[in-house]
Amino acid sequence: MEELGINFALLAPLLLIQLLLAIIGLVAWFKTEETNGPRMLWLVIILLVSYIGPILFFIFGRRQ
Amino acid sequence: MQWTTIVKKEMLEDFRNFKWVWVPLVFILIAIMDPLTTYYMPKIMDAVGGMPDGTVFEMPEVSPYTAIMMSLTEMSMFGVLVAVAITMAVIAGERKSGVAELILVKPVGYFTYILAKWTEKVILILASYIIGMLVSWYYINLLFGEITIGEFVPLVLFYALWLIFVTTLTIFYNTLFKTPGIVISVTIATLLGMHIVYRIFQHKLSWFPNSLSSHIGDMLNSGSIPSELWGASLVTILVSVVLLFASRYVFRTKEMAN
Repeated sequence: MEELGINFALLAPLLLIQLLLAIIGLVAWFKTEETNGPRMLWLVIILLVSYIGPILFFIFGRRQ
Repeated sequence: MQWTTIVKKEMLEDFRNFKWVWVPLVFILIAIMDPLTTYYMPKIMDAVGGMPDGTVFEMPEVSPYTAIMMSLTEMSMFGVLVAVAITMAVIAGERKSGVAELILVKPVGYFTYILAKWTEKVILILASYIIGMLVSWYYINLLFGEITIGEFVPLVLFYALWLIFVTTLTIFYNTLFKTPGIVISVTIATLLGMHIVYRIFQHKLSWFPNSLSSHIGDMLNSGSIPSELWGASLVTILVSVVLLFASRYVFRTKEMAN
């Protein structure tokens, strides 16, 4: 990052948001017994798709 | 009051299913995404490479006003999408699962029920939107230049009306349809329809709710609030109020179960 001349302090909040979303997504996944679609697939989506994965799970993954 | 009780119950529910955490985070992302990528575009181009040696890119100078309008444009795409997605099941879902009957056999009025649901969702969405815009404001002041608080506050308040309208529209369709999936599709179809109508008759419809953001742009550039902005705000508020009363009427006349 440094050699690109990008100020890391400016981008740190983005990484923090990504981390928080993944953690909350995981906690919500643990607490959800029945998901829409395969449960393990959602785990993969939450962990591997950054930003969008947890959001998709929050909106569509859980039975309302 | 029953109204406050239901609002509190909804708040608690949204705390437990983490909406109060992830919705603000998502709105922050939506608000800062475009200004940040615009700021870093030259560096991204450098890093990605693939340009022949000696290629010179003139990036247009982005004013802070353009940058904050980028945040609003993203809000009107993804922000609205998230707002509709979290509102799509508030009444439709409770009707499907039978919770609505459990609440309405108690001495709770239909309108109290709808209004409480609406209030809680509007609070959640507006709080998240304001947090997102504050972060974007902070970034824009750092990266692009100053936007004064006197410019920022009216911008946020006027645009909030559009989000309130979108939430009200979703609540209205909630009372009309019983499946959240239908609610979200019909709401988005309506918003798209309004967008198309506005695009075609733009010069005639200066008080149309969709014109809010373009009037907000004018306000930033001219430094004073144009009269069309007041007009469009008034129309947006009126339509929202009418929709709320219409949802009460529809909800009362529709039967509960399938």
